[in-house]
Amino acid sequence: MKRLGGIFWGLLFLAVPVLGVATFAIAPSIDVWLPKDVSVHGREIDALFYFILALTGVVFIATELLLFWFIWKYDAAARGDEKATYIQGSHTLEVVWTIVPAATLLFLAIYQMNAWANVKMRRPDMPPTVEVVARQFEWRLRYPGRDGMLGTPDDLHLVNDLHLPVDEDILVQLKSMDVLHSFFLPNLRIKQDAVPGMKIPVWFKATETGSWDIVCAELCGWGHYKMKGRVTFVSRPEFDSWLVRKYAEQEATQPAPEPSGTLVTN
Amino acid sequence: MNSTIRSLAFGLTPAVMLIVGCGPTPPAFFRPNMVEAISPTPEKDSISADQALLPAQQQQVATIMLAMFGTPDDPVCLPETGLDPAKLRLAAGPVRSDIVGRKNGLYREHCVHCHGITGDGLGPTAAFLNPYPRDYRPGVFKYKSTERSDKPTHADLVRILHKGIPGTSMPSFALLSPIEVDALVEYVTYLSIRGETELALMRQFFELDDEDEGKLPETQEFLIAEVLEPIAEKWAVAADAEIEVPEMPTGIELAESIAKGRELFFGDKANCVKCHGVTALGDGQANDYDDWSKNIVKIEARLSGLAKSDADAAERQWAAEFGQVLSGDALKPRTIPPRNLRHGIYRGGRRPLDLYYRIHAGINGAPMPAAKGTVDPEDIWHIVNYVRSLPYGLDGELGADRTMAMRPPTPAGLASTEED
Amino acid sequence: MSTVTAPVTIGQDHVPVRKPHPVLTFLSTYVFSKDHKVIGLQFLFSTLVWFLIGGLLALAVRWQVAWPWSDVPVVGKLFAQEGGQMAPEFYTMLFTMHATVMIFLVIIPILAGAFGNFLIPLMIGADDMAFPTLNMLGYWFMWPAFIAFGASFFVEGGAASGGWTSYPPLSTNIAASPGAGWGQTLWLLGLTFVGVSSMLGSVNYMTTIILMRAPGMTMFRLPMTIWAMFITAILQAFALPVLTAAGFMQLADRMFATGFFSPEGSIINNAVAGPGGGQPLLWQHLFWFYSHPAVYIMILPAMGMVSDILTCFARKPLFGYRPMVYSVAGIAGLGFIVWGHHMFMSGMNPALGITFMVSTMMIALPSAVKTFNWLGTVWGGKIQFTTSMLFALSFVSMFIIGGLSGIFMAATPVDIFIHDTYFIVAHFHYVLFAGTAMGVWAAIYFWFPKMFGRTMNEFWGKVHFFLTFIFLNGTFFTMHILGAVGFPRRLADAYHYETFHHLQPMNAFMTYCAMGMVACQVVFAINFFWSMFYGPVAGRNPWNANGLEWTAPSPPGHGNFDFQPVVYRGPYEYSVPGVEKDHLMQTDPPNVAAAAAAATHH
Repeated sequence: MKRLGGIFWGLLFLAVPVLGVATFAIAPSIDVWLPKDVSVHGREIDALFYFILALTGVVFIATELLLFWFIWKYDAAARGDEKATYIQGSHTLEVVWTIVPAATLLFLAIYQMNAWANVKMRRPDMPPTVEVVARQFEWRLRYPGRDGMLGTPDDLHLVNDLHLPVDEDILVQLKSMDVLHSFFLPNLRIKQDAVPGMKIPVWFKATETGSWDIVCAELCGWGHYKMKGRVTFVSRPEFDSWLVRKYAEQEATQPAPEPSGTLVTN
Repeated sequence: MNSTIRSLAFGLTPAVMLIVGCGPTPPAFFRPNMVEAISPTPEKDSISADQALLPAQQQQVATIMLAMFGTPDDPVCLPETGLDPAKLRLAAGPVRSDIVGRKNGLYREHCVHCHGITGDGLGPTAAFLNPYPRDYRPGVFKYKSTERSDKPTHADLVRILHKGIPGTSMPSFALLSPIEVDALVEYVTYLSIRGETELALMRQFFELDDEDEGKLPETQEFLIAEVLEPIAEKWAVAADAEIEVPEMPTGIELAESIAKGRELFFGDKANCVKCHGVTALGDGQANDYDDWSKNIVKIEARLSGLAKSDADAAERQWAAEFGQVLSGDALKPRTIPPRNLRHGIYRGGRRPLDLYYRIHAGINGAPMPAAKGTVDPEDIWHIVNYVRSLPYGLDGELGADRTMAMRPPTPAGLASTEED
Repeated sequence: MSTVTAPVTIGQDHVPVRKPHPVLTFLSTYVFSKDHKVIGLQFLFSTLVWFLIGGLLALAVRWQVAWPWSDVPVVGKLFAQEGGQMAPEFYTMLFTMHATVMIFLVIIPILAGAFGNFLIPLMIGADDMAFPTLNMLGYWFMWPAFIAFGASFFVEGGAASGGWTSYPPLSTNIAASPGAGWGQTLWLLGLTFVGVSSMLGSVNYMTTIILMRAPGMTMFRLPMTIWAMFITAILQAFALPVLTAAGFMQLADRMFATGFFSPEGSIINNAVAGPGGGQPLLWQHLFWFYSHPAVYIMILPAMGMVSDILTCFARKPLFGYRPMVYSVAGIAGLGFIVWGHHMFMSGMNPALGITFMVSTMMIALPSAVKTFNWLGTVWGGKIQFTTSMLFALSFVSMFIIGGLSGIFMAATPVDIFIHDTYFIVAHFHYVLFAGTAMGVWAAIYFWFPKMFGRTMNEFWGKVHFFLTFIFLNGTFFTMHILGAVGFPRRLADAYHYETFHHLQPMNAFMTYCAMGMVACQVVFAINFFWSMFYGPVAGRNPWNANGLEWTAPSPPGHGNFDFQPVVYRGPYEYSVPGVEKDHLMQTDPPNVAAAAAAATHH
């Protein structure tokens, strides 16, 4: 009966590693996990995520199990008249558990520098494919048009519906018209704050066609949740013809005929 | 004994607090148009206490409105409105998920916090926006493809939801499904028809004979045929009333067209510079109001006039009360500056076609006048070309003139003529 | 009040002479008291009230996340016309004020103000703080902050709504958000007062700990609580001025049309935004230069207190006392060079993403060392499962989770994905709530007898612990996987995105757990107030602990000790072999003869 404390509380603390691991193990199967990655550099980022998950997972399980074990075993009621172990510490242990984590952490840091540089430092030498201007509460897009230059009358202006060619390097010129926003493409593992007064390049390359979310990832006011955009990757010929079609719509001098049943789209 | 009582008190106090605070909020309700109820006449600058609707009359209007249009959770869709009840049901009601991925409560999910539950532009967020969100109740919409005083077509409203209104807080809803967009447009139309009906009913009190004893007749014939149907009719014919747009003139170089447009911009017929300014920065004239604000301004002027005049005490008392209503039920009036055309942001759309509509029909509810009748259709196209060239500084001497005192600001996100 | 002016060193026989007690009125005893114990309790009660307010704000946030645009209880009455659904700008205000209240009005004042004040003189053997008047002012400077933050809910535009991080231009420009008007101004004023209060406290604590230790109390005989409070005070002193300066700059931007943080050419809500010439990133650097050390300010004292509690109830010395002290110092020192990890995505020079990654990775090291030492402390112990011990053990368990999740964020490439998602929210709630708050409860249950002369009820304490432990993990653990999905923070309605639709049931579950968590604090509240008047009377040392505070009466009177404490050993001499008792207090003489000899010298 007296022993109950260690058992009861031990089991409660055992639930931590058990349920913790269970949550992470079950999550992918209930679709609560990393979204599909369709970018080139995303693979590296996901690999790093899993590496850290494995590392921290091992440490988590080990330390929490130790804690459980000590709680279970060293219940005062179970130890009777025995005294606790009088020990001030262990120099060896201190050295070991300082050097090993230090080396591991330093290794982790250095190991990841390349991945970071690829996404944020090694900008491809190319003109911008599109300019994205974040604004309360939309993504204003501007494609350079035939002359390849932004800021001329042949630019294509759109809102929220970003189309890009697949399997090609893309350079986005990111700006903000008013407050801080953040250009987040979950499925491409891309995130960059849009800062008013700054022009920030963002580059990536998609490996698959399809439509994915653009999410605003920096609080920008009451409509932060409404800044939903969509990025669609299509083949180059489809992209070119889409540009032509959209530009024609933009330059329309007559109302578009409405096919019955469908509505005028962007 | 003492300790038991104390412990009970400790336990009960939070419980009581929770019970008092908890409990469901009553269902959403439409707000009556109080400003109109107290001044039910279009001539806002001559309103007086004896025009105001009595509480009994206000109550009658509210009852009729409830019967004809229902509540935000439970809309009534009379066939004479020409609206589709299924679509209304998608948009009405509290936000909740329905089966098959379609949702009810679309209006409350997407629109209510700006446009208000009644479509009066008085949602909680409205006061913080510039420009204010649209008040649908007068049935006036700015950006459409029909003549100035006509209603917008269904497609016009769909286009607004798709594109949003650039330069304002109205976002693009292009990523909603077509069914959802359609339902929202239907509901906005419903709110507009409802608002117009309420206005019409309130103004009907002036048309009463003595034998009506200050009450509106509650007959089908009156309510539907005399009040509702004319309103619904205007909406129904809008689709066929789109402006006929001639083709852009061919056989003329763009540069030449721009030059012609510039002449017209500065000329007497169109006289765009009067408001938009010689630099097209919108600095020609800045003291005017849009129709929604104009009403309030007129009322406020009238009220302050009454307060100072030697009107009798009852009149002054009424003026004071009305002042209260205004501060609770109307947003502070704001002047509407003429558009800065050098920004390249066009609220009603950037297609040449959209600019043609704006110039031809003017902007309903705003001081922008219709050029129809004064300017030839072909000439309107020249003005359109000129206006479209303005953000790029391609308008000849003015654009190239570096000694101009006021250069247009280049907001962070916009076209810049300098090397980026 | 002590008249000791010279530092007291080992072996010195000088006995401080006490001034005669001044005549005390009700006001000077209970309201404007200069007694550190009363001030500590004033802090404790005030912060516990704000804890409740912050928790209720969190519930409103959780409600909206789980059931967006539905009729919110209580709060919904404000939006009766719309059927009780809150407005989106109201939501931004809710999470802003939840965080602000919790950080500036709860965690920082309860650790330093409540426990620091109450414990420091008692644990070092002093009869009060070095500057009692300053101490009293430190508490009363919190009241303008309480009033400023409280009033901000009722001004036009509502309370601040730009996030507790208050990034400009959103927070500086009234056109950008409604709370950026009076709400933000009051927020900045409140922050300034909290800063002044913290600064006064920090100066007081450093001076007291350095100069007023009892004879024999060398630095390396100080309990970890004191080391932690000491180093925290140093952190406060160095970091706060930067925040205060930044706050004034933001006030200037708002009131005097300066342009520290506004760039040229912005158009916010169709209003041209100020004269420009500034940079939004400047605020971020200044803010995080303080706020990163602030997070260590918010955990180090709890770590110290947990160390003391673990040793007491494991009946074992602290494993690795000196490494523990060095680790605390290491965390504090490294804490000044990691602030950029909050700004990896901000647009600052990407090369800084490399440097801050290295320093941030390294700061995990001292925390790891501490965790291993706690495990070492518990190993081989003779564990008494008191409520206080349970909370302390859970601190260790939960801190492991919070600390490990931090490593994901330190990894800059991974941060690209998880920044501003619920992964971050999970991390800081684990360290701050599952960590520090559990440590705070451990400390309350532990030192309650010293504060009020009675012990809290153990059974209901364990019920409180059990329920809180379960509900908090239910609320916060799944936030890690939500973050892995990319579920963003601060969204009033995440289900706008089809990709997040299927997460609604999980969010509903988390909200139910959050409601349970707040509800079960009623157990604590009743236990707390009841025990204060009707709990079993505690003696001087109900836990048989070693610290100096346990030699004083419970509660201690004016002047704290009824004898002059002299210290002979460190604070962790539990279960010493060869000694019959299982604990040797710091003031127990080495042996009877030596005690007699020492006595004749006085």
